Amino acid sequence: MTKQKSLFKMLCLLSFLLLLLSGCWDQKEVEKMAYVVAIGLDQDEEDENRVKITYLISNPEVGSLAQGGGAAGEEPPREIISFTADDFITSRNLANTVVAKEITYDLLRILVVSEDFAKNKKFLRWLYDATKEREIRRDIKILVTKEQTSSFMIDNQPLLETRPHEYFEMLFNRGKKAGMVPSSDLLTFFRITEADADLFAAAYGTAQQNDNSSGKNKDPEQAIAGELQYGGETNTVQYAGSALFKEGIMIDTLTIEETRLMFLLHPTENPVAILTNLPDPFNEEYQIATRIRPNGQVKFDMNLKKETPSIDVTVPVIIEVLTNHSGTNFAKDSEKRIKLKESFEDRITKKFEELIKKTQDEYGTEPFGWSLVARKEFLRISDWESFDWMKTYPDIEINVSTEVRLGNFGRQGEMLNIKDVRD
Amino acid sequence: MEQSKGKIGIKEFIALTILMTGTKLADDTPAIIYEELQNAGWIAPLIVGALSIIPIALLIRVVTSYQDKGLIQVIDHLFGRFIGFLIIFILWGISFFALIIDTAIYTDIIGTMYYSRTPTIAIYALLMAVCAYGGKKGFEQIGSISWAVLPYIKVSVLIALVLSFFQGQTSYLFPILGPGEWEVIKESSLKLSIFGDFIFIFILVPFIKSTKDFNRGVWISLCIIVAEVTLAMMIYVVMFDYQSVMMLNYPYHELIRTVQLGFLTNMETFFFPFWLIASFVRFTVYMYIAAMLFGRLFKIKEFEYAIPALATLVVFVGSIPESPTQSIFEIRARLIDVSTPIYIILPLLIWIVAKFKGDLKHDKAKESI
Repeated sequence: MTKQKSLFKMLCLLSFLLLLLSGCWDQKEVEKMAYVVAIGLDQDEEDENRVKITYLISNPEVGSLAQGGGAAGEEPPREIISFTADDFITSRNLANTVVAKEITYDLLRILVVSEDFAKNKKFLRWLYDATKEREIRRDIKILVTKEQTSSFMIDNQPLLETRPHEYFEMLFNRGKKAGMVPSSDLLTFFRITEADADLFAAAYGTAQQNDNSSGKNKDPEQAIAGELQYGGETNTVQYAGSALFKEGIMIDTLTIEETRLMFLLHPTENPVAILTNLPDPFNEEYQIATRIRPNGQVKFDMNLKKETPSIDVTVPVIIEVLTNHSGTNFAKDSEKRIKLKESFEDRITKKFEELIKKTQDEYGTEPFGWSLVARKEFLRISDWESFDWMKTYPDIEINVSTEVRLGNFGRQGEMLNIKDVRD
Repeated sequence: MEQSKGKIGIKEFIALTILMTGTKLADDTPAIIYEELQNAGWIAPLIVGALSIIPIALLIRVVTSYQDKGLIQVIDHLFGRFIGFLIIFILWGISFFALIIDTAIYTDIIGTMYYSRTPTIAIYALLMAVCAYGGKKGFEQIGSISWAVLPYIKVSVLIALVLSFFQGQTSYLFPILGPGEWEVIKESSLKLSIFGDFIFIFILVPFIKSTKDFNRGVWISLCIIVAEVTLAMMIYVVMFDYQSVMMLNYPYHELIRTVQLGFLTNMETFFFPFWLIASFVRFTVYMYIAAMLFGRLFKIKEFEYAIPALATLVVFVGSIPESPTQSIFEIRARLIDVSTPIYIILPLLIWIVAKFKGDLKHDKAKESI
């Protein structure tokens, strides 16, 4: 009897739960939502207090197994609309005048800002709307584009990964690993702006290729997005280099090389491996292809309580030699190896010094995240705040050195001496 | 009621205490602490935990020396009818008020962070309905459900914290002393009542199998709570840095929205249900305690029947404040300040009176704790 009773009760409960499952007010159906993957922000041309908003809406049905046959198969992977609004919160309703589905930011992955707008003082106010909006997460990325974001999004047509949400995800992961663009998430942007000490580095990209001749014979590492020349049949968009923000306003851009140096100097954000060319010390005609990897933590020796504060930075790296065009046989000759090592050390240290000097003279503070290391030297927040990193940084005496450890000399150590062969 | 006759063992008791107090790491308590202590906020739970030893030790000394008497009965016995009524009334006031504002805050968290379109009253009513149902089931049930859900809840919190630890930077914890050592000690002492729930736990003594279990349970749960709240507060700073963490209303919920596990992004859908269950248990215990005190005040023997009525009252009072995120934050911060002296003075008073009455004397020979 009691068993039956409890079973009855159980069934009642289960059927009641079924009713709940059908959802209530916050129920959403994937089919009825328009998933915005990227928001573009531009200054409106006419009204200073309004922004031009571009939505890149992803079609979740493309690329899924459910695609086959029917209307969904022929739908394009994305939809782009641009319009003027007061902010990107109210714009959700405005977009509905064009888009039939409900706009949601649940899958928003990236905020795209045009360089012009990022240099505007008012930009920060709009960006901070993101902290209020419930659906926007702090792990989304920021990308600065050279041109208007609306034209950037239209020109951005990846061929092999057409689903925009996947595309941006992969792009940023790869870019960070290769050290071409910084990771630039919104969380870090807010943190650095609020801490008011360092510079924030955002990824930089463009769909416009610079055709002027100055870019043509340039060393590719000295380029930023848009200056790299390439042919073939591919997407016109480039992502390279970084945009620097000081106190929430964009001030300058860094080239690929500077971005990579910045990564190497950063105490926590380490690139996985950088492929680059360094001059051959044995023959000036040639370049040696190398793979540079960080070899443990960047070491700091900070002396900030002195009259002129000083910082000694040691960057340990492992360099693997990948090509050897001059044919010098340094794999077996220890003297030559030492010479090679010293040449690498001098070269990289010089590059570091140039960049640090630039940050001290031009920017007034650094994008390397050193203020976090400096904070450890202080016991109380009040001491740290009165030290005023941003004000003190240009006067700090910085000594940087590089500790090179040679890695492998490629798969095959020895190299054919071309001169001997041609003899 | 029949169900409440059963007693609970040590593990259920510890689980219940941990869920009751430890869940505070996931509401706006951290925000209240960070406001004054900045990046040294994580030191506060340590200091509060250390200072809490005094009132807890005093209460243990007194309450466990009476056989099968909870805090309510002890107060009655020590202070007599009139003053006893007054003290219990104050305790009930605090517990009921805390129940109202805490449930209002939790409703607000659910509303602002997860279900933004669902009417507040619906969320609130559902939350209280679950708690009232749980409370009415009786104490034994509450105990066993706490023990049953505890591992899942703690594992989910731990995963969230570990993931964010690896995404954050430990250097944010520096300058290590935050606003300065004296400021830290002063402000933490003023926030003592964030562990004030421990007073109310003494009301539950008659439901615990033995006083020895109770004694050990209280200390074990205090240690675990201090450890977990400290760890959580540290990791919020490690994740967001102090300037940003001070601006957040609900750090835990921002945290679970930010962490990623490999390719998995929107992780909060995994953590949210566990937090929700923890909140249900927490308020069920609150509800039960408030009802017990209420029952003593107005001589209602089967106080469990008062729970649905009290729950309804909570919903209506709790939905009064407008823009709850900010207004209740203020009220809550003030309640913590106001109840701190009570948390210290009451146990001291009870101990002094007990000593004066000579009730502690004959125990001294018996147990040497």
